[in-house]
Amino acid sequence: MSEPVAVAAASSPQVPLIRVAGVTKRFGGVQALRGVDLEVLPGEVHALLGENGAGKSTLIKILSGVHAYDDGVIEIAGQAVAFDSPAQSRDAGVAVVYQDLSLVESLSVGANLMLGREPRTRLGFVKNRQLMATVGEFLRSHGIPLDPKVPVGSLPFAYRQMTEICKALMGEVRVLILDEPTSALTGGEEQILFDAIRAVTARGVGVIYVTHRLNEVFRISQRVTVFRDGANAGTFTTAQTDMKQLVAAIVGPAHAALQARQKTAVGDGAVAATASTAATSEEASNAGAAPVLKLSNVSNDRLHHIDLVLRRGEVHGLAGLIGSGRTEILQTIFGLRSVDAGAIEIGGRTRARITPAEAIQLGVALVPEDRHLEGLVLDHSIERNLTLPRLPHFSRWGWLRSQAAVQQAKRSMKELAVKAPNSSTAVKFLSGGNQQKVVFAKWNHPRPKLLMLDEPTVGVDVGAREEIYGVVSDAAQAGTGVLIVSSDLDELLRLCDRISIVADGCIVNTVERAELANAEALHHLIQLSRSSLEAPAT
Amino acid sequence: MNESVSPLTAERQASPPQKSRMRRIAQALLQGDRPYALYAAFAILLVVFSFASPWFLSIDNFLNIGRQTALVSIIAIGMTFVIIARQIDLSVGSTLALSGMSAALAMAYVGNNWVIGAIAGIGTGAIVGAINGIVTTRVNIPSFLVTLGTLSAARGLALMVTTTKPVIIDNDSFISIFGEGDIFGVPVPIIWTLLAVIAGILLLHYSVFGRQIYAAGGNPTAALYSGINTRRVTTLAFILTGMLAGLAALVLSARSHAARPDVVQGMELDVIASVTLGGCSLFGGRGFVLGTLLGSLIIGTLNNGLVLLGVSSSLQLVIKGVIIVAAVAFTRK
Repeated sequence: MSEPVAVAAASSPQVPLIRVAGVTKRFGGVQALRGVDLEVLPGEVHALLGENGAGKSTLIKILSGVHAYDDGVIEIAGQAVAFDSPAQSRDAGVAVVYQDLSLVESLSVGANLMLGREPRTRLGFVKNRQLMATVGEFLRSHGIPLDPKVPVGSLPFAYRQMTEICKALMGEVRVLILDEPTSALTGGEEQILFDAIRAVTARGVGVIYVTHRLNEVFRISQRVTVFRDGANAGTFTTAQTDMKQLVAAIVGPAHAALQARQKTAVGDGAVAATASTAATSEEASNAGAAPVLKLSNVSNDRLHHIDLVLRRGEVHGLAGLIGSGRTEILQTIFGLRSVDAGAIEIGGRTRARITPAEAIQLGVALVPEDRHLEGLVLDHSIERNLTLPRLPHFSRWGWLRSQAAVQQAKRSMKELAVKAPNSSTAVKFLSGGNQQKVVFAKWNHPRPKLLMLDEPTVGVDVGAREEIYGVVSDAAQAGTGVLIVSSDLDELLRLCDRISIVADGCIVNTVERAELANAEALHHLIQLSRSSLEAPAT
Repeated sequence: MNESVSPLTAERQASPPQKSRMRRIAQALLQGDRPYALYAAFAILLVVFSFASPWFLSIDNFLNIGRQTALVSIIAIGMTFVIIARQIDLSVGSTLALSGMSAALAMAYVGNNWVIGAIAGIGTGAIVGAINGIVTTRVNIPSFLVTLGTLSAARGLALMVTTTKPVIIDNDSFISIFGEGDIFGVPVPIIWTLLAVIAGILLLHYSVFGRQIYAAGGNPTAALYSGINTRRVTTLAFILTGMLAGLAALVLSARSHAARPDVVQGMELDVIASVTLGGCSLFGGRGFVLGTLLGSLIIGTLNNGLVLLGVSSSLQLVIKGVIIVAAVAFTRK
C-alpha cells in the first residue's frame, strides 16, 4: 500500500494542492462555466456551494477528467494539467466520491477496497489473508473504524459511504472530491462521515466538499466558494461568514424577495403559524368533522400500535432515525404495506385493508423518498408521469383522453414552474429539483386531502426547496392535511404544527411545534427516544 | 406558486434536440423512439431482394410473405405488451399447439361449429396466459422461468391428449374464416394480422391499460406508488398474448385442415426477435406495435428473399441470426 503523497505538499503549505483559475466550459449553446476560480490548500476542507446548474457538477467533471475545459488554467501542486480521461485525473491524485455509491454489496469491505487490484498467487488465486491485512493496515493508519471482513451490504449507510471514501483514497490521493455526501444520511450518521473526513485531512489531503446543506459548511469546512450561473459568487473564510451571507451569494440579487420570505419563516415560524391558524378556524367552523387521517392502534411487521390523528390544514412531522419506521408509516397508510391490526380512517372512512388505488381515490397522495426508484418513470415523458396516478380521470370507458391529459400536464407544469421544453420531454433530462417538482405535480390535481411527503427536499437545491416549502404551506392553507417525514430538523421545525418522534416502529413522543425552541431541542428528543427504548433492555 | 418566485434561472437541462414538424408527426404516428433505422432496414431489404430476384417484386409474393408471417406477427403483438411490461413469454409456441388441439377437439366432440372452435382455441390460450401471469406476479417467480415451465408443460399436454396424433378439422366455415378464405383478394391470415395490429395499437397507445403497461415496465415501483395494480396489468398482458397465440392456432390449423401437437417448435425465438427488432426494450417500458409488425415483416421478408435466391436452408439460419443481432445492435444506438 502506497502512502498518500500529500505529505510532500504539506511541507510547503503556501502552494495549493489544486488551483483552478478562469476555467470556462461551453456545452453547445450553453455556457456552463464562465471563468471560475477555486483553490484548495493541503489539509483544507473547501466547501463548494451553488444551486443546481450553477456549474459545480461541470467543474467536478472537468477535475475528474470526464470533460475537457475550454479555457483557463488548472494546476495540481503547481503543475499545469489537462486531463483527457478519468484515469489521468486519478493518476494525478484527484479522487471523486459520487452521490450514488459504487460498491458491491455482497463483497466485504476489504474485497471492495481492493477490487481489481487483489494480491494474487502465481496461479491467479486471490491471497485473501494478505488482502485483509493490507486493508486493515490502511484503515488503521487512517484512523477509520471499519472491519475489512464485514460485507458492505450489512453496513449502515454512513459506513458504506466511509468505505466509498476509503476506496477513493487507496493509492496516491492529493485531492478528494465529495459530491453531496450527506444527502442520504441522518443527523447521527453525519458525524461518522465528518470524523472520516477529518482523519483524511489530518494527513494533508485537500477536500472539495459539494453540498446543498448549509449547516454542514460551518461544521466541516475552513473555506467556502459559491458558484452562481457558472461564475464565482464569492469565496469566504467559514469562520468569518454566516448563513445569511451564503444564502445571499447562492441565490443572487434577483431573489431578494425570496430571502425575505425565508427570513421571516425561519425567524418566527410564520408559515407554520399561518397554517395552524387556518386549521384552528377550520376546526371551529366545522367542529366534529372527521379528521383527515386517523390511525388507531395500527400494527404490522414494522409498526407497533401507531396512533395518529391529523386534521384539515395541519402539518404533522415524523422525526426519527433512518430505519425507525417513519417511511413505513407512510407506506402503510398508502396501502403499500398490509395492516395486521388496528384501523386506518381516511376522511371518515375506516379501512382495515387498503390498496394504493383506493388510497388515491380517498384523496391520499404520497411523494416518496427516492424519486428515481419510486416516484418517476425516468424514460417516460413528463405528461406520462404526471397523469399516472389519476389515469381514471383522463379516460372514458378505459380509453385515454390524451388531449385532456396533455392540457392538465401543461397546467401542472406551469403551476409548479417545472422548467422543461414541453410536456413530452423525458423526465430523465430534467435537473433534480425539476424532477422533484414533477413528483409533486403528480398529486396537485385534484388537491389531495392527505399529502404525505417522505424526505421531500433531499438532493434539491436551495431555490427549489423554497418552492417546495411554498407548495406545502399552500396545500395546508387550502385544507390539506400534510404528513412529513424528514431528517432535516430545520425543515420539520419550519413546516410542522406538531412533530412525532418515531423509534423502532413506535411513536414514542408527540410535541407541539411551540414547545420546541430549536433544532437542538428536537435533536435531543430524537436521541432521547433511542435511549428510552434501549433503557428497558438493560 | 407563481413564476416570479422561481429561482431556477440558471437551470440548464440536457434538452433533447428540437424535432422538425415532419419528424414529430412521424413519431406521433409510430409512438416510438427511433423507428427510422427500422424503416431504412426494411426498405434496403426490399430494394436488395427486388434487384437480386425477378420473382420477389410481385403482389403474389408479398401476399405470400404476409401469409407466412401471420402467425409470428399475431403473437408478436401480444409479446409486445409482455416485453414492455418487463416480462417475457417463452411458452407461445406450445400455447399455440395446445390451443390448436383444443379447438380441433372441441369441434370434433362438442359441436362442429366454427364458433365453438374459436372459443376453445382462444380460451385455452387465455388460460395458459393467465397461469403464466398469475404464477409470475403472485408467486414472484421470474417470467423467464415460469414460461419455460409452461413451454414444456403445454407442449406435453398437447401431445398427451391424442397420444401425439393430429386431429382433422372438417368444418368448411372454420377453414374459410381462419385459413383459406380471402376478402377482396387479401387472404384471411393477413386480415387477422391487420385486425390484431389495429387492436394492439388501440390498446397499447390509446387506452389506460396501455399506459399502465408502459409504467409497470418502465418502473414497477413508481407504478405501484402511483396506485397501479402492476400484478393485474402484467397478468392481463400474459392473457392477451395467450389469446393471440390461440388466434394464431386457429389460423394455422385452418390452413392445414388439422391441428397437430408438434407444430411451431422454437417459434418463441422468432416472435421475440421480431419484437426486439421492432424497437422494444427488453428492460421494459419502451416499444410500439407498428415496430413489432415491421420487425416481423423484416424477418419474414428475409426468409422469403433468401429462399427465392436459392440460399441453402442451413446458411439461411446463419444469415438470419447475424442480421437479427446486427439490426438490433444498430437500432439500439
